[in-house]
Amino acid sequence: MVGYIVRRIGQSIIVLLGLTLLVFVMEHLLPGSIARQIIGPRATQPEIAEFNHVNYLDRSVLLQYGHYLNQLVHGNLGFSYTLNRSVWNVLSSEIPRDLLLVGTSLVVAVIIAVPVGVAQAVRRNSLVDYTATSVSFLLYSMPSFALGLILIQIFAIQFAILPPEAPQSAGVLGLLTHPSGFVLPVATLSLSVYALFSRYMRSSAIDTLAQDYIRTARAKGLPERLVLWRHLVRNSLVPVATLVGLSLPAVFTFGLIVEQLFNFPGVGLQYFTAATQQDYPTMLGITLLVGVATVMGSLLADLAYAALDPRVRYS
Amino acid sequence: MGKEQAASSRTRGYHGPGWGRGPGATLLVIVAALALVAAACGKSTPKASSGATPTSGSSIAPPVGNKTQGGTVTWAEAPQVSPNYIFPVDNGQVFSVANLDYFQYLLYRPLYWFGNNYKATVDEDYSIANPPTWSADSKTVTITLKPWKWSNGETVTSRDVAFFLNILKAKPTNYGAYVPTYFPDNVASYTEPDAKTIVINLTQAYNHDWFLYNELSQLTPLPLAWDVTADGQPAPTTDNGKLPDSTPAGALAVYAYLNGLAKNTAGYANSPVWSVVDGPWKLANYTNTGELDFVPNPAFSGSPKATIAHFNEVPFTSEDAELNEAKTGANNLTIGYIPQAFVPQESSILPKGYDAYTLFGFSTNYFIPNLHNPTMGPVFSQLYFRQAFQELVDQKGWISAYTHGASIPQYGVIPANPPNTFADASGQSYPWNFSISAASKLLSDHGWKVVPNGQTTCTSPGTGANQCGAGITQGEAITFTLDYQAGPVALDQEMKNLKSDAAQAGITVNLTTHPFNQVIGAAVPCQPTDPKCAWQVQNWGGGWIYSPDFYPSGEDLFATGAVANYGSYTDPKADALIAATTTETANPQKALNDYQDYMQQQLPVWFQPNAAGNPVPGGLTIVSTHLGGFSANAFQALTPETYYLTQ
Repeated sequence: MVGYIVRRIGQSIIVLLGLTLLVFVMEHLLPGSIARQIIGPRATQPEIAEFNHVNYLDRSVLLQYGHYLNQLVHGNLGFSYTLNRSVWNVLSSEIPRDLLLVGTSLVVAVIIAVPVGVAQAVRRNSLVDYTATSVSFLLYSMPSFALGLILIQIFAIQFAILPPEAPQSAGVLGLLTHPSGFVLPVATLSLSVYALFSRYMRSSAIDTLAQDYIRTARAKGLPERLVLWRHLVRNSLVPVATLVGLSLPAVFTFGLIVEQLFNFPGVGLQYFTAATQQDYPTMLGITLLVGVATVMGSLLADLAYAALDPRVRYS
Repeated sequence: MGKEQAASSRTRGYHGPGWGRGPGATLLVIVAALALVAAACGKSTPKASSGATPTSGSSIAPPVGNKTQGGTVTWAEAPQVSPNYIFPVDNGQVFSVANLDYFQYLLYRPLYWFGNNYKATVDEDYSIANPPTWSADSKTVTITLKPWKWSNGETVTSRDVAFFLNILKAKPTNYGAYVPTYFPDNVASYTEPDAKTIVINLTQAYNHDWFLYNELSQLTPLPLAWDVTADGQPAPTTDNGKLPDSTPAGALAVYAYLNGLAKNTAGYANSPVWSVVDGPWKLANYTNTGELDFVPNPAFSGSPKATIAHFNEVPFTSEDAELNEAKTGANNLTIGYIPQAFVPQESSILPKGYDAYTLFGFSTNYFIPNLHNPTMGPVFSQLYFRQAFQELVDQKGWISAYTHGASIPQYGVIPANPPNTFADASGQSYPWNFSISAASKLLSDHGWKVVPNGQTTCTSPGTGANQCGAGITQGEAITFTLDYQAGPVALDQEMKNLKSDAAQAGITVNLTTHPFNQVIGAAVPCQPTDPKCAWQVQNWGGGWIYSPDFYPSGEDLFATGAVANYGSYTDPKADALIAATTTETANPQKALNDYQDYMQQQLPVWFQPNAAGNPVPGGLTIVSTHLGGFSANAFQALTPETYYLTQ
């Protein structure tokens, strides 16, 4: 197991290096002059030359990339001229916010999706199944912004029982002092994701129910509650664990629409804004962050396999 | 130097991506696309949507109830546009409306104040300095200061003005509004004969108004307490002749220190440096999400002094988020906006406790042909073609159908709104009203065979009066690419309508959309052989706002080689007229009139509707019915010291 983890970490570092190189080159192939867009149209050629020199933009792309990696090793993700803040400062203030919002949403989605999916599998082709399937399809097909707008219109504007925006405190502790502000954004994200999770859970549970060990457990007189909990749920969670693991990077990107709609600045929105403003340092910083999250999520999913399924053992 | 303005507000001098970033706007894009498909089956002239005309005007209604002391006024920042730079010597990276008008001006007052009461003029009562006086040869200007105080008890002196000038002169390129040969290059020397007076000697005689509105407008006194080069140095209180800024190298060191300090946004509110202010407000809190809390500066010397206890600038991630907050009522958001795409919802928002106003910034809106483009440059260089194409711009139809009445036609380089003394009759109308037949006739009169909904071609090449013009060949068609900002719903609809109308004159317009920065970034002056000259027409949706160069002369925009003359327009007569607007003359207004009238005929750019939105561009301004003292500034500055709440 330890060897496996070490190998996977080594692979991950290589993947991350390749990712940063690929993204760096692609972003620098975008049209437009960075210097002119940052300094402004009044910039003279000497000013542009000075800016390019100071920011390594007059070097070859590979040297720029090398400079970037060197800074990265020293803990410097760069400075965003657009935001007048270091990229690390930007990310360190927004990552906890995203972890709180999107992380909570994922947890809520899983908590709802697992029992609903199991219930659908157990009562397959019943009214419960049809109803839950219909709801899932409706939520899955509905864009999250439309769902969010509907929730805002009903609960914030029509009945005025919940705020239309997420808590506005800059710090995580401050955010927790206004939990009512999280209800609508978390509901929007959770319901969107729940539909996906519950479909996977239903499908997986139906497969598991057909397994011999389920029939054996029932035949030996094990109570249905224990059959479901010990044998069905645990074995059906494998694909959902994969989904959750791969959802880790989504913590930083999935919230884009919700961040826009509920006035909750986060990494996803920051990345979108940075892309439209050609804010390269911020884009690279977030790309790296999402890359790390993807690799970590994949690793965690693999570890979850081993924990959930005794047949899966790595040595 | 003015600034490019986007269809919505943005950062860095020009404004960035804005309109329609929200999901609601995406939905509207789909709706608009369906509408356009339907429209394509009929006439191309846009149809007005019923009930879309806003009920608002620019006249500010008195508040409901009785005046109270204290309270908090919340003001909505533009989506994803928050102030992020405090040092009032803004470099090009941070030179923006958000940083100047919404932040620094509240703390550090410029020497002269402009635009109050929705008038594009200097406000002498609001200014720190008395009106400047000039020498007989118009080459020396003398400024006397009013007895203002800094919040640390020091007096605002001429030395503080010289401090600002010393930093600018040491390295002008550190200043975002710097234009070579203009300020401070045109300042030969300056002296401070006493603490109240500064005398500035110029390299040549200038139009007094132009120099006041465009050059002196940029001066901001800096406290001597800032004249340090490192943390821990004692803050100077008097000039002992050895202050760091006294030498260019020292001034650069001071700039480097303060600029570095300004990069620590987390330290803004508690900084002993930035807390020394002469404006009506002090910064009480600054969050990394862009929320700013201002409290009154008890030592403020000017008038009026603040009545409210807090002025809170609140950030929004999207137009939808701002609109949703406004819909919850004016108790939560005192001053906000209804984005242009949502103007039809005005009637449902006003009952939440708002009045709505159609307010404009002192700006002109246009899109730009590249006269040096190797393919289409020869066509764009023909005056008759520029006039013909302007006749294909259905400004009134667009305003009615696409902007829901929340914009006005733009007829020339100087806007008629906000009210000002600069615009003449050419600001009110022009001879290029929408007419496909007139446009077609202009083309056919100059050697083109017009094929409606086909391909118009040149049948008479040559340079004669009735021929196509220099550089245009036999059989050449008129086909070009127009790049415009992605996102703004109205702009998207307008450009698609323009394409349709142009097709009826046999002109093929290929539309492409890009992020704002890409559009503005591609629009560069160039030579035909230059690879970057491939762009043909660029439209970033917002044209140009005259701020903080408030005098609407064209030396930045249309003079040969000007920094913002992106289309590479050149005309000797235009150059002479522009020069006349900046130099001393017996009748400065006549010079402005001659310039704006000529440019309306020349059309170096194509004018398009100018969207309402002040202080936040791109929609209607909504103000709580319980807020008194609100008035728009023609140049989008905020003056919350005039506000009061009522009960």
